[in-house]
Amino acid sequence: MSNLGFALDGAWRVLLAGLALGAGLPILFALGIRSLAWSAAGPAPRVAARVAGYGLFAIVLLGIALGITFIVATGFGKALSFEHIYPTIVAKKH
Amino acid sequence: MTQSTVILVLVIVTALGFDFTNGFHDTANAMATSIATGALRPKVAVALSGALNLVGAFLSVEVALTVTNAVVKLQNSNGTPKASLTADGGEALLLIILAGLVGGIIWNLLTWLLGLPSSSSHALFGGLIGATVAGLGWAGVNWNGNGTKLDGVVGKVILPAVLSPVIAGIVAGVGTWLIYRAVVGVAQKYTDNGFRWGQIGSASLVSLAHGTNDAQKTMGVITLALIASGHWTSTSSIPFWVKVCCALAIAMGTYLGGWRIIRTLGKGLVEIAPPQGMAAESASAAVILASSHLGFALSTTHVATGSILGSGVGKPGAQVRWRVAGRMVSAWLITLPAAALVGALMWYLGDLISGVAGAIVIFLLLLGAAGYMYLRSRKEPVSHENVNDEWDEVTTPSERVPAGSAN
Repeated sequence: MSNLGFALDGAWRVLLAGLALGAGLPILFALGIRSLAWSAAGPAPRVAARVAGYGLFAIVLLGIALGITFIVATGFGKALSFEHIYPTIVAKKH
Repeated sequence: MTQSTVILVLVIVTALGFDFTNGFHDTANAMATSIATGALRPKVAVALSGALNLVGAFLSVEVALTVTNAVVKLQNSNGTPKASLTADGGEALLLIILAGLVGGIIWNLLTWLLGLPSSSSHALFGGLIGATVAGLGWAGVNWNGNGTKLDGVVGKVILPAVLSPVIAGIVAGVGTWLIYRAVVGVAQKYTDNGFRWGQIGSASLVSLAHGTNDAQKTMGVITLALIASGHWTSTSSIPFWVKVCCALAIAMGTYLGGWRIIRTLGKGLVEIAPPQGMAAESASAAVILASSHLGFALSTTHVATGSILGSGVGKPGAQVRWRVAGRMVSAWLITLPAAALVGALMWYLGDLISGVAGAIVIFLLLLGAAGYMYLRSRKEPVSHENVNDEWDEVTTPSERVPAGSAN
């Protein structure tokens, strides 16, 4: 495979991961803001909306934690593996 | 002190100088949006970014010594310099590195003076490529790799530079578009505070990732010079003082803040509102981290610029100043060849004079060019005080956009 092939192969993976994390998480965050705003909008507080809002924020925080874990692991010469679905820190493949 | 020790000291000082310009050239990538939207006061933003760059630089425990192997053939695959370059205390290799660094710094300073966000890695690679071509001929450059993986100038520099702004732009555009839809009708007191924190969080991730990625490059280059001149032997670790110096240089550079570039990215391309700022920085962080996970080398600058453009395209009713974007893209195109040209000229000059005198002359030329550009910058200073002033495109005042129409 030529360099162009490798680059395009890498590019669509980066695009998919970027859309999932870089656009997906901010949208969850925005929906969390919407839920919190709505929970406080009525005459009586809407508890379910409030819980949903904080739940969405928690998912976003997990995403950020994943990002920080990745940066730290890379700095120590490790890599993140997603083979068990949930991320694990493994030795870097060379 | 032997001749090669003097040259080595010049290489180290110049490399730290490059690291410093790398810092202030790239502050904008993480912080331009937060500064433009007022999520952080300018001084607080650069202090936060500088601190995170410092932390990030220290996180680079395992530094790749083979950083230059992607583009030039100065090292063996285990990171040691080629034996042919280490005769005479490594002077041949030191001169190539010195000339390359000078090329990178001069281009970084020139683009900073013009307020253009160009890639610091391209400037460094360009300088090294030019100095290598001058010193070793065209065959000294790794143009296309060996076909087994993404490698060489084409695979590690040119293709990612073309693809990464597009990817980041798509992600940020989609993100912005959906975020605006998600918060239609929500009271501004909720959105402003929420997106403020969203911006600060995502920009912090970009700063941290920048520190781990970019400070490493200088650490690798300095250690290579130390090995070449016989002052260090390990290829699996780097001297602690090198790490400390590089971390401090990039953090101080970041804290200084390249206000001219922050202004272009934050105010020049798009009038950025808080939701766009969050979408742009989240897209940058995700694309940078995903690509480094997948081994797809790219420049933070290209990603950040693509993201900000994307956030302008994705916001309903927003306008993008494509003229400014066009100037940036042309700067990207010429960054590598321009830095290469300076690097090559410096090598020829250093080689002509030869020895310590040659290295000193190149170094003095660098100081002269840096001083001149600094003085030029004082004629129209941009600082934390005027970084957010209205953007007046002198030639086309009609392009002024009514900001915040979709808020």
